Amino acid sequence: MKLKKQGYNLCFSAIVLVLAAMPLLLRAGVITSTSFILFLGKCIAFSIVAIGLDLIWGYTGILSLGHGLYFALGGYAMAMYLKLQATGGKITSFMQTGGMTELPAIWKPFLSAPVSLFLIIAVPGALAGVIGYFIFKNRVKGVYFSIISQALTWAAYSLFTGLQSYTGGNVGITEITSVLGSIKGAANMGKMSVLFYISLTILVIIYSLSYALINTKFGKLLIAIRDGENRTYFSGYCVSRYKNFIYILSAVFAAVAGALFVNFNGSITPAQMTISYSITMVIWVAVGGRGTLIGAVIGAFLINLCDYHFSSGEMVEIWQYILGAIFVVTILFFKGGLVGIVCDQIPSLWKKNPESGVVVNE
Amino acid sequence: MSDNKVLKIKDITVEFDGFCALNKVNVNVERNTIHFFIGPNGAGKTTLLDIICAKTKPTSGACFFFRKTGGEVKLTGMREYKIVGEGIGRKFQVPSVFVNLTVMENMMLSLKGNKGVLESILYRMTAEEEKSINKILETVDLLDQKNEKAGSLAHGQKQWLEIAMQLVQKPEIIMLDEPAAGMGKPETFKTGEILKKIKRDCTVIVVEHDMDFVKQIADRVTVLHEGKVLVEGSCLEVLADETVQAVYLGRGGERNAEN
Repeated sequence: MKLKKQGYNLCFSAIVLVLAAMPLLLRAGVITSTSFILFLGKCIAFSIVAIGLDLIWGYTGILSLGHGLYFALGGYAMAMYLKLQATGGKITSFMQTGGMTELPAIWKPFLSAPVSLFLIIAVPGALAGVIGYFIFKNRVKGVYFSIISQALTWAAYSLFTGLQSYTGGNVGITEITSVLGSIKGAANMGKMSVLFYISLTILVIIYSLSYALINTKFGKLLIAIRDGENRTYFSGYCVSRYKNFIYILSAVFAAVAGALFVNFNGSITPAQMTISYSITMVIWVAVGGRGTLIGAVIGAFLINLCDYHFSSGEMVEIWQYILGAIFVVTILFFKGGLVGIVCDQIPSLWKKNPESGVVVNE
Repeated sequence: MSDNKVLKIKDITVEFDGFCALNKVNVNVERNTIHFFIGPNGAGKTTLLDIICAKTKPTSGACFFFRKTGGEVKLTGMREYKIVGEGIGRKFQVPSVFVNLTVMENMMLSLKGNKGVLESILYRMTAEEEKSINKILETVDLLDQKNEKAGSLAHGQKQWLEIAMQLVQKPEIIMLDEPAAGMGKPETFKTGEILKKIKRDCTVIVVEHDMDFVKQIADRVTVLHEGKVLVEGSCLEVLADETVQAVYLGRGGERNAEN
């Protein structure tokens, strides 16, 4: 057991080291495209959502198909701040189109950087808290929870596309730079590296926090809730409070990820709030391996790397089908995902082989 | 004797869609006894346990719990985790331990204490708690398996682990739904001996079919039949009762004879 855990952490360290080397490789000229580094920055954001999803799905057994909502809320909050930085505090073009002459009240807090940072975490956290309170208190679970989480995401999507003069509608908030200014092109390589390392640090912090959390009694309780919710109630725990806590935490992780994503992406659109986007996040966790933090990180990077390579060129049409097939096969045959294959399925094959060898020798 | 009451079940009626699972059941359970509920399938035994621990709501009637320290608590209408907090533990018919956690972790989660979210995050097991867990694991013979995953235990061991998980909460009442189900004769006997030890510190309520097991340890037996209390008394009284033989034991006797 101990060895396995050390293995997970070593694997995570290796991923972090490789990522940390990337901006240096770019500088040395080994990697020529700056957009690849931007893409890796987005992957860091994705793996943060994946960790959050893994906590709630892999450990607690609650399948949320609506984490895109929190990801996008964090993203929008960040984008609103960045947009106001870009316009110098004046109203945006989509507000003008909507007939507004003054900055709407909900945009005003985003003039200040500390307030924006606070809201990036507080708004999704509070929303998840309220939603979670009612859902879990009424003991909605399983597939019913998944459906509600989808419906809520859909409702938010409709709201954001509908309120065009406040949110930019279908187009979203575009033409923004990162918190450090423009990071595109060779001239801004330095800023991009700084932003990249900040994101990487946040990933390390979130991973470490989650790792510490799952090794406490609280972490064991999450597994207990997954394996026997009733038993947990009859052991004297108010399960709904625990579920709500982990729901809020994973929503906050998603929001942080969304905020980072916007910095690298340079825009946020309601597409990040769609149901299919939320389900894609679930696929990352499933393929990487739910129930292990490292699985979520690996899954997020791997699927997105494939996506990066295949979504342009010949494979573009067929890639979505392949992704779907991978998901189905994982769920049916490899419940532990890639991590499960490496840590459980392959070793069990190894164990069988020597035994059969002995039989042959006799 | 009536002063020593720990649980009072008063006029409990439960209806599921017109089907009357329990009909005006009145039972008193006395402290530090092993109280059995027996009866044919569908007599309402498990439903009665569900009522006590608030898994099911009664159509009418109520249950009252009398604390050791004095004071009366109405259990009906309370949340189940609060009832556990009062000191009433429940073991289910199907062994329900946390299969992906070790025996020790299973026990740790069952410890009595503050069960809030923040407390769980900051929690560290004290040496004293570890000692009490080890002591209880020794009682049920699971000390050697304490770092094994609960899912890898044998069926009987899972049952004992679940009993141990109840004990570590230091309950006043422990309710067991068919604790000997799926166990062989020696294991059943051993379970009985464990329960006898437990009874010194708390009250044990058992639902069971195995008559040898009942004879081995019962202090008091209530026979349920079609949702009503048929007979109540000591083990010998109940076994001698003619109606009981007709509706319940008689059938079992015939079956035994055929075998």
